[in-house]
Amino acid sequence: MNKEYIVIAFTENQIGVLNRITVCYLRRKINIESLKVSESSIKGISMFVISAFTTQEIIDKVTKQIRNIIDVIDVSYYTPDELITQEIALYKISSRYLGGNGRIDAFSRGMMARMIEFNPSYVVMEKTGTREEIDELRDKLEREGVLLEFTRSGSVVLHRDAIEDILQEKIDEFDGGDY
Amino acid sequence: MAKKQKVKGADALLLSLIAEGVDIMFGYPGGQVIPIYDHLYDYRNRINHILTRHEQGAVHAAQGYARATGKAGVCIATSGPGATNLLTGIADAMLDSTPLVCITGQVPSTMLGTDAFQEADIISMTMPVTKWNYQVTSASEIAPAIAKGFYIARSGRPGPVVIDITKNAQVEDVDFAYKPCMGLRSYTPKPVLDTEKVARIVEMVNAAERPLILAGQGVTLAGAEKALAEFADIGNVPIATTIMGISSVCTSHPLYVGNIGMHGHIPANKLTQKSDLLIAVGMRFSDRVTGAVKGYAPGAKIIHIDIDHAELGKNLRCDLPLNADAKEALEAMKTGLKYIDRAEWLAAAAQYRQKEQERVVAKTVDPKGKYISMAQAVSALTAKAGSDAVIVTDVGQNQMFSARYSRFDSNRSFITSGGLGTMGFGLPAAIGAKMGVPGRQVFAVMGDGGFQMTMQELGTIMQNRIGVKMLILNNSYLGMVRQWQQLFFDRRYSFTELENPDFIKIADAYGIPGRRVSSPGELEEAVAALVGAEGSYLLEVVVRSEENVFPMVPAGAALDESIYNE
Repeated sequence: MNKEYIVIAFTENQIGVLNRITVCYLRRKINIESLKVSESSIKGISMFVISAFTTQEIIDKVTKQIRNIIDVIDVSYYTPDELITQEIALYKISSRYLGGNGRIDAFSRGMMARMIEFNPSYVVMEKTGTREEIDELRDKLEREGVLLEFTRSGSVVLHRDAIEDILQEKIDEFDGGDY
Repeated sequence: MAKKQKVKGADALLLSLIAEGVDIMFGYPGGQVIPIYDHLYDYRNRINHILTRHEQGAVHAAQGYARATGKAGVCIATSGPGATNLLTGIADAMLDSTPLVCITGQVPSTMLGTDAFQEADIISMTMPVTKWNYQVTSASEIAPAIAKGFYIARSGRPGPVVIDITKNAQVEDVDFAYKPCMGLRSYTPKPVLDTEKVARIVEMVNAAERPLILAGQGVTLAGAEKALAEFADIGNVPIATTIMGISSVCTSHPLYVGNIGMHGHIPANKLTQKSDLLIAVGMRFSDRVTGAVKGYAPGAKIIHIDIDHAELGKNLRCDLPLNADAKEALEAMKTGLKYIDRAEWLAAAAQYRQKEQERVVAKTVDPKGKYISMAQAVSALTAKAGSDAVIVTDVGQNQMFSARYSRFDSNRSFITSGGLGTMGFGLPAAIGAKMGVPGRQVFAVMGDGGFQMTMQELGTIMQNRIGVKMLILNNSYLGMVRQWQQLFFDRRYSFTELENPDFIKIADAYGIPGRRVSSPGELEEAVAALVGAEGSYLLEVVVRSEENVFPMVPAGAALDESIYNE
């Protein structure tokens, strides 16, 4: 059964790792829903967070193939409920909203969105939350007919267990270091 | 650490190769590697550079060298078309786990990404078909990149690496000191052996009534041939090989039952299907090995031992995966292993061997004595060539007949393009093999189609006086495709018939002696001339045009659903 799997990979900060990882999805024609690369809490180590819909059997095989990439230090896959996941989204809203009755303002505030830009033609709201919460606000604004533009960050995740500690140990254990 | 010396980048490259033990490389010069070739001119007494006639020839020769010797093969090509001409061989080496270090030239780093003359983004192009690749843009990176490249190519599950060197890096000055790579924190080539699992495997083998070992190339790559034979002998367990595993065990070994797969030997395939325990070592259950996965080895528990954890469970359910080096595993598995008689099981193998003789082998001889069959030609070669010969094949029927009918008593004796199935592999790979093991007889067994894909390498043989013996099985068809067309496409021979040139005249043009035979009476004597020739020799055997490789497991059928005739 297809469901969302989030692969978290820790890699050396090398050119080409991104391509090698995405090739593992491309080969099997799996569409990547979101992908985020940034420095992990360990200096010089990049963290990849890749979300895709597939089966557990396939993601298991893809993960093993990612692990075979020389510059990948560690990689695992998770279902969203195993991770603490947050996204940031920006919503550009028509200025018609300003003439409204305050209803939009009320539910936006109720959903913990905050206004970060304000001018005569539009306002921009920012919201942090789960994928579902971000979708919910988007749906509401679309129904009201005031949403002009929308963008989201993709998932920022932390594992509930301390996986980076284990990674740090693994790195400390290695005696030679990269060239 | 070695003392530093000031050199050019091109020197640093050549000194690094020498430091890694390289004394031969195969290549083709061009604009963006001229500085390397200029320095190579001064290193001619330390590195034997073999000029091929095409970059594909260079990479296949490097593969043949690697497969025959167990060392990493080295090839070099210029940027752009030179580099892209290597691609097929690199992909081939990736699928067949062949250690290769491929050096490519690249446009100067200031021109990268500008569509400069002969610029190709070879790093992106080779990404999915290399174990590792790296673009060097300054001379100081050359030595560390070569060190890392050799380490990665040779260790763990071997594979090809590409090191792309921009022209400016070749001409810059650098302080050179070579430090071999000893390890990388992101890469664990050899897994730690799980001794608990090993003990469970031994229990399972001891308890099995009908066990069968499936040996793949991983046995050869790990140098585990002796350990394999010892394990089989101690436990009295029959051994079958994959195409890539051929010659990891002597064909005369009493427990050897032949090759498995689409054109496998009957005993090997039948035993697979009747087995209660398969012990797969260093193989990857390719679709050509398993046939329909659903009907594969229905009664067997499967133990899968491989150094690459990603292979475990990739293609097939597996009851006990063991991520291990084949040699370490087989050595450890001898402890506690019991000799079990299994007379009935081994007798079954003998019966199937008899059946194969009657249903398949006997039928390869034309009763009217008019035509030579490919099976006969290969059998005649293997009888005369001696047990130490190296057989290098091309791809197609010539390959399958070679796999079925060749006999080997030495390891690393069968070199073939197993995973990618690259036509044109045979001749250049045989050149590389002969350069690697000059003391052994090396035979390239090819079809008329495959030979013509890389026959320009006759020039390489001529110029370097390489004693490769060539056997062309000429049926004037792309035989394997024609076989499929005959069996599954209603004999519609769509573009598989070949009008061929005079191969003997072509050989003659290169100063290579040759002979053409077409009647069975001439075969023995002609093969004797091929085997006995001083240097290279080309024997063309005109064979029956519509001969098929049998038995055959049709695509999508189970291993015991073989067909035996048209």
